[in-house]
Amino acid sequence: MNRISIPKHEWDERLLQLLSSFEVYAPVENEFSCDYMLLDADIISEAVYNKPKPVTPLKKFFLPVKENVTSGTVPAKPVAIFGAPNCDVMGLALLDMIYMDEEYADPAYQERRENTTVIVADCLSIQENCHCTSYGIEPTGNEHSDLSLALVDEMVILTIYNKKGEEFIKKLGVVVSIEPEKELVQSLVKKQQEVMDQLKKQNSNLPGYQETGKLISASVNGAWVKHASNCVSCGACSAICPTCSCFLLIDKPGFEKIRQLDTCQYPGFERVAGGEDALNALPDRFRNRYMCKYVWKPEKYELQACTGCGRCIETCIGQINKNELFVELSRV
Amino acid sequence: MGNNGSLYKPLKCELIKVLDESPLIKTFVLVPEESFSFGTGQFIEVTVDGLGEAPFTPSSSPLKTEQLEITVMKTGYVTDHMHSMKPGDMMGIRGPFGRGYPVEKFYGKEVLILGGGCGFAPIRSLLYSLIAISDKLKKVTLCYGSKTPEDCIYKPYIQELRETPKFEVMRSVDEPDQNWTERVGVVTVLLDDVNMDIKNSVAVVCGPPIMMKFGTMKLLEMGYPEHDIYLSMEKNMSCGLGKCGHCMMGKYLVCKDGPVFTYDEIKNQPHIWN
Repeated sequence: MNRISIPKHEWDERLLQLLSSFEVYAPVENEFSCDYMLLDADIISEAVYNKPKPVTPLKKFFLPVKENVTSGTVPAKPVAIFGAPNCDVMGLALLDMIYMDEEYADPAYQERRENTTVIVADCLSIQENCHCTSYGIEPTGNEHSDLSLALVDEMVILTIYNKKGEEFIKKLGVVVSIEPEKELVQSLVKKQQEVMDQLKKQNSNLPGYQETGKLISASVNGAWVKHASNCVSCGACSAICPTCSCFLLIDKPGFEKIRQLDTCQYPGFERVAGGEDALNALPDRFRNRYMCKYVWKPEKYELQACTGCGRCIETCIGQINKNELFVELSRV
Repeated sequence: MGNNGSLYKPLKCELIKVLDESPLIKTFVLVPEESFSFGTGQFIEVTVDGLGEAPFTPSSSPLKTEQLEITVMKTGYVTDHMHSMKPGDMMGIRGPFGRGYPVEKFYGKEVLILGGGCGFAPIRSLLYSLIAISDKLKKVTLCYGSKTPEDCIYKPYIQELRETPKFEVMRSVDEPDQNWTERVGVVTVLLDDVNMDIKNSVAVVCGPPIMMKFGTMKLLEMGYPEHDIYLSMEKNMSCGLGKCGHCMMGKYLVCKDGPVFTYDEIKNQPHIWN
């Protein structure tokens, strides 16, 4: 791990130069929220670092909502995404297992992954539903990242974790030997610790990941029926989830196929031609998503399928708060 | 620039023959543009151009690579359209996918096969494979049930099988007509008549979910160990690649981890029978 720093205005100049060879994305605040935008010269300085979290999950860069998977193509220009929260980056690990497995690596997904550099931003504040630390995920870059950045006192502090990160820094034209001042690093470490403490305090009642899996497996119908009664099967929780990646194949003339993101929350997801549908009842569908995330995916891939971003809570039209549900289950 | 063609683009096939098996079941003989091989029990995704795709286990011999057969019950959107297709029409196939029957584990054993309705399709492919290795098997007993005599499929093949050494066929129907001379009742009644050396036997079950459930329960009662009962599971396999999630059965994706499982592998997974 190696840290360097660069004044914000110089950093913006580096990004400007990068635009000629990369498509550069970063979170930008809008009237309502903050979301990834394709940067151009006019908005480079508006990029937001350190604030959790873009409305859209990182998966949208690798799994578009809809694409032709028989004759579609992937843009050749390399992509750099600055300011992805670590919860989203950790979610990519699961998508990689599914979409780049040894037997059937998905060409479009793989090409996008190889073509894209993701730079983590350390979260230096928290939102109401953030709960990454409850699931053992740090709100900062870590050894799984190539590179992370943090903006402190108008200085961009870059943490390089590996060779790939170092190579990218060189592409940016930043001198890798400029160590940040001690006080600046101390200030960053202090802020990081404060955020960790706030997250732990905010989620002190929330059961841990494995415990949640056990609670969901053991739980009887009552709690599910109650919480599912507010669900309208809109699928927003899955659409906005950084790890939900199920899809539907739609046929088009000429033996073409369109992949469209799908969700087990829609009726008919598991229905077979003979009519049997294991997830016909709403409470079963509702519970299925949590069994998938907390029990089956971890068993199958040895990875977590919820990274604690909290987007599903924020987006739910029925105001279903899964964390309240799990706290309730833990108290039974 | 890259594309996904290799995984999702179907291999085109010409439909050369359509055989009526029963009022609701037809067998389609397909000739792929390139030779195509599969392992018995593996499945393929069949595309009706511009309309949809559905999973089928080929019913023909895995030893043939120049053409393959699928036996299809008219039961949904895609299969309705398939039933109206004529020789000369084109279809698409992707695959083969998943884990089929591990026939090498059957060596030296008696094989009991329990099939119902259109579940005979994968079984026929298995029977072709077993005939090819019959010198390594003790015997093969097929118990096949259907609703009425009219619904019994592969009638010429049944006769051929009855004349094959080491192979025996027992059939039942729920609703007999005056010409029916075999057993009457659901397919599990045939298990009362079988004479198997259970300690040196494996069982294979394929059919509608309700038949799979009661068939498995009966085999367990008879003393078949859970790890010697092979089930060909039916779920909504869509991509065939272990990615789309539609065939999830607990921690398993049926398209990739199955479709053939032993009962002990899946007994604790949710909704295995529906």
